[in-house]
Amino acid sequence: MNDLGKKLARLAFEERGADFLLAMREEHGNVAPAMVSKGEDVGDVRLEVPYQLVTILENIYPWISKGKIAIITRRCDEKALAELAKRKYVDDKRIIKIGLACTEEQIERCRCEDPVPSHVDVGEPHAAVKGDELSARLAKMSQEDRLAFWVGQYKKCNKCFGCTLTCPVCFCDDDCVLEERTFVAEPSIPPGLSFHMVRSYHMIDKCIECGECERACPAEIPLLTMRKLLAKDMKEVFKFAPGDEKTVSPLNTTLEGELMGDECDEC
Amino acid sequence: MAEFNPTILAFCCNWCSYAGADLAGVGRLQMPPNIHVIRVMCSASVKPEYVLKAISGGVDGVLVLGCHIGDCHYMTGNHRTAKRMPLVQKVLKEVGIDERRLRLDWVSASEGEKFQKVVTEFVGEIKNLGPNPMREVKW
Amino acid sequence: MPRIGVFVCHCGHNIAATVNVEKVIEFAKGLPDVVVAEHSLYSCSEEGLGSIRKSIEKNKLDRVVVAACTPRTHEPLFRKACEMAGVNKYLFEFVNIREHCSWIHTKEPDPATEKAKKLIAMGVAKAGLLEPQKEAESNVIPTAVVIGGGLTGLTAAASLVAQGIDTHLVEMSGKLGGVLGEIEIIGPEFSRSKELLDELVNDLKASSNAKIHLDTRVTAVSGFIGNFEVTIETKGKSEKIPAGAIILATGATELAPTGEYGYGSIPGVITQLELERRLAKGDVPKRAVFIQCVGSRQPGREYCSRVCCNASLKNALRIVEAEPNSSVSIIHRDIMSYGTASERLYKEASDKGVVFLRYGLERPANVTQKQKGLVVEVYDETIDENIDIDTDLVVLATPMVSREDARDVAKLLKVPLDKYGFFLEAHVKLRPVEFATDGVFICGSARWPSSVSECMGQGLAAAAKASIPIRKGKVVVEAITCWADADKCAACGSCVIACPYEAIEIVEEEGRRYAKVNETLCKGCGTCVASCPNDAMQQRGFTSRQLSSMIDALIKNAMEET
Repeated sequence: MNDLGKKLARLAFEERGADFLLAMREEHGNVAPAMVSKGEDVGDVRLEVPYQLVTILENIYPWISKGKIAIITRRCDEKALAELAKRKYVDDKRIIKIGLACTEEQIERCRCEDPVPSHVDVGEPHAAVKGDELSARLAKMSQEDRLAFWVGQYKKCNKCFGCTLTCPVCFCDDDCVLEERTFVAEPSIPPGLSFHMVRSYHMIDKCIECGECERACPAEIPLLTMRKLLAKDMKEVFKFAPGDEKTVSPLNTTLEGELMGDECDEC
Repeated sequence: MAEFNPTILAFCCNWCSYAGADLAGVGRLQMPPNIHVIRVMCSASVKPEYVLKAISGGVDGVLVLGCHIGDCHYMTGNHRTAKRMPLVQKVLKEVGIDERRLRLDWVSASEGEKFQKVVTEFVGEIKNLGPNPMREVKW
Repeated sequence: MPRIGVFVCHCGHNIAATVNVEKVIEFAKGLPDVVVAEHSLYSCSEEGLGSIRKSIEKNKLDRVVVAACTPRTHEPLFRKACEMAGVNKYLFEFVNIREHCSWIHTKEPDPATEKAKKLIAMGVAKAGLLEPQKEAESNVIPTAVVIGGGLTGLTAAASLVAQGIDTHLVEMSGKLGGVLGEIEIIGPEFSRSKELLDELVNDLKASSNAKIHLDTRVTAVSGFIGNFEVTIETKGKSEKIPAGAIILATGATELAPTGEYGYGSIPGVITQLELERRLAKGDVPKRAVFIQCVGSRQPGREYCSRVCCNASLKNALRIVEAEPNSSVSIIHRDIMSYGTASERLYKEASDKGVVFLRYGLERPANVTQKQKGLVVEVYDETIDENIDIDTDLVVLATPMVSREDARDVAKLLKVPLDKYGFFLEAHVKLRPVEFATDGVFICGSARWPSSVSECMGQGLAAAAKASIPIRKGKVVVEAITCWADADKCAACGSCVIACPYEAIEIVEEEGRRYAKVNETLCKGCGTCVASCPNDAMQQRGFTSRQLSSMIDALIKNAMEET
């Protein structure tokens, strides 16, 4: 158990009352996610390897019927958990967040504009990045050039579904509509534009810009950039950003911001 | 070069816009023959995926017509439509497709003339935008 | 493999004059799974329907596409023809090539013909994917509940019991009659309200079908049309009433002024209802000034309350009749005395010396107390002068406003309110006195400030509509409801939130969570379908595969053209 492991074990199991800890662990030179029970040797924890632990949590949660789970959460992980909790996929009361502040390199790589978790337990907080260079370049392009850019990028796609599988807020898993022929007419690889546009639309009120999709893509398509562009649009049109358990997606409310189709609650 | 004849898909809701379109027909209100109507019960049932599929497949324009806000047969259905369609437009815009290729409007059962106006305007607008660039893209 | 028959209608010249039906038939024959394509002069005629039925039998068709007028008129007719020939009525698709094609492109026959071909290709694509459906049926409890024992509620209840329908009338206070009970004489005929109300109450009391509950509140409502459960509470005791239909007639109240024109501080400044009570006791003023539109037709409450002008005219005439030397003025911003009888009242009042002055919203009148009596200072817009009127009484005609408990009632019944707190009916023209929720009806001033005759008319309308499902004994749900594929559903809850009727809930069965639609609550709008990210939620007759196939057909036929 390295020092980090010891520190986290104490924090999670002794101070915060967790029964399990989900973290990245190094074994035999490989770093992989691990779920450690209370009392077990935590091992050599590594924090600088970016990984979507929330996606792992989402997948194993149905099998952990009791107990509290501590998880290393970056700011984006926090937001992803909020989106999952909203849909009752996880019970907030059972999750203990161990806030991790990302390094400058990590923030740079993610072009992260919101890098500090609400509570920092590990790491030093650093400033956000001002914006995404590619987004700025695209904003200046003509429509034709923009389309040519994205078509060029999307033509590299080989439908590995890495983006959807690593995404923490993508919850349809095995039943993803993009696997079927209903909305994506092209049976071939690469799939047509509708594959990516449908994914973009589905993500528009859920994406917390963790960047895992871009990191997972073997074809190096700048997926995070597209997410950021649409997140900006969402803020402009509906003043909404995903990641807060208290706010409701504008797609779920009426024009007056009400839920449940109640015509008027105020009068 | 032959003049560009757009192919436009329209979703009309049974209670309002489809009835408005019928009224335009009854009144023999002439309009360009470019739009093809799919009848749905409520504009709220128009999946954004349909719009994205149509445009990805080369349809030059998509028109979604529902009841006026406050008049939806299913209470707040059209509120959902009003939220979804602007976001679909943003998805189109970011990828480089003119967001004006999707238009959302409200036509009541008594508005045959408005239906004619919206259709004529939209066809004109799509003609100006030119053919859907996705027609040329081979996957 | 489906066997599709396409039937194109000439509709006399209506379609055939613009659309080349022969070319369309030839085209249709080449579409996937089309076995036969025929045409007739008038498909909806006995001959036309007969030929469709014959063709179904001869060609062993299992899907039928008719290309003709709008489905909104003749869909039931063709569905019936299919049923008679042994094809489930939901295996029928209607393509509109008249209202949406031939009639609107009369000068462009070639493009119209091409468009008709594409529309039929779309219809055929959908038809190939249609599935037979069974319509769900549910029994109707032959009882009605009327909430509100005022004029409207009494009228509705009396009408229902006259039809022999068991009716419960629920009234919150200790007596029947509502607001009308406080008004002795009603215009424009100057009849006695007591006679009208007594007649209705006696009709109810004499009927074995009526049950009147006074001092009773409705505390819970559950269920759906034909099968409601209304819980009422009388002095602490609860009772559950099973009902097939519910009529809401809770009425409205007079707006209490909050100090305008000296109300509350200057004695002699009263409301219309307060005047009614005085007149009923024989306390007739010598001089009176009515001020109209107090609290209405202004920012915050823009509507006209429709009944106050007529009430003032009636009361002004009562004063003039009772006190020969009286002096009555009505200061107004328009006199809303609609209809011949009320217009006559207006003229009569004017003829009998009632003075009418027009004032503006920006310069309201001012009421001051003098040593003896009151003075109303008003700027008369018509003659552009300030006028002082000496008077004994100032009557403020305030609007009817929604009751404070309207919101609670709205939540109980899950029905909507408009921005003024009045109940919102389903559709002013297509579905008056109905709520969008089937089986619940709205009438009287709870819906909008209404006169005596309007309240009665609406009460009768609501009773008539409520009696329909009760008489039929059964409600049939059109098979266009939604369902979620339990295996695909990710239980994200988007559909639950989207449904305007709260018809969906996430259930757990055998360890699997998924969305379940209550088919009797489902109205078939499809809002849930569009909110579902993985296409698990579908609508019968409008599945995503069916509609996508229409888009594919359009793309295929359009791209091949250019």
